[in-house]
Amino acid sequence: MTARPETWRLPAMWVLLVGVLLIASAEVGGAAMARFKLELARGVRAAMLARPDAHGLVGVRDVDEQIIDEAIVKFDAGLRLFHLHGEGMGVVILVATMVAATLVHSAALRRVIIGFVTVGGAGYPAGYLVWSALIPYYGIERGKTVAEWLIWIPFGGAAIIAMWLLTAVVAARMVGR
Amino acid sequence: MLGSVTRPPLIIVFLAVVIIALGMTAGAVMSQLRPETERYAQARIRANAAAHGLVGSSEYDDEVIARTVFAAEAGLSFLHTHAMGLGPIVLLTATIAANTVPGRRRRRLLYGLLAVGALFPCGYLVYALAVLEAGRDAGVSLTESRVLTPLGSAMILGLLVLAVLLAGGRRPPPTP
Repeated sequence: MTARPETWRLPAMWVLLVGVLLIASAEVGGAAMARFKLELARGVRAAMLARPDAHGLVGVRDVDEQIIDEAIVKFDAGLRLFHLHGEGMGVVILVATMVAATLVHSAALRRVIIGFVTVGGAGYPAGYLVWSALIPYYGIERGKTVAEWLIWIPFGGAAIIAMWLLTAVVAARMVGR
Repeated sequence: MLGSVTRPPLIIVFLAVVIIALGMTAGAVMSQLRPETERYAQARIRANAAAHGLVGSSEYDDEVIARTVFAAEAGLSFLHTHAMGLGPIVLLTATIAANTVPGRRRRRLLYGLLAVGALFPCGYLVYALAVLEAGRDAGVSLTESRVLTPLGSAMILGLLVLAVLLAGGRRPPPTP
């Protein structure tokens, strides 16, 4: 399809679907956080009490309650960060892939940029869900390390690389290359 | 192709994309390079001891340093959040302008305001550096008056002008 260079082109339908689904998931995450706050906190507490060694619980109420409270706060923070990043990255996926579809002429480079932005951008917020899910079972720090290496660094890294590649392409178009 | 939706000039697209890229990178720096960022901030505060009012008493100085490091990290955090939000807003509002605002001069005025406003998140990078170099209160005050207020005002003005022109209700066919 030949488009006039002054008009926007849309990326492939699957890309749009990922962006929209990510925003929808983030909305649902935000709603669920508010609606099931108590149930979620009880679930975290129960899972932690079932695994005292993983959390360093010692059986002394004063000490254990502090550890459990901190874990619940971080669990909640993970859900909140999923909500925020999901909404933000969903929009970034839609906008950045539209720019790439319109301005990146090389088909291979366009595929790389769109693929990296979409997969990286959608995967990154999920890392916060994974972190939250891991906290009751493995603790705050171990959960964070797993989420960091499995999700945040690879997916976030892919999205960042793609955005700078896109920036370079747009800059090159501006200077007429 | 998206119907026949005209895109804004390349400079606006570039600014929007680079701001988003900067925002993402700031987020990564905040999380992955936090110890290094803290060490750098502490070193700069100690190098500008007079500006920060350090007195040589570790009890007092540690408190001042901790508060200033916190302010610098807040600057990075604001860069991250504002850039991720403002980048898409600039692109979308400039696209609306490209497709609805009649008259090349009016569009140019709008693009100019949006382009300057797009730099608003960078003000928080200046904020983070200024609090380290000029002292917390002086840095915040300087950045707010000289950088954030003018850039933010340009963005607000651009949006208001666009709103007024949209409210005018004239919708000519998009022109290249």
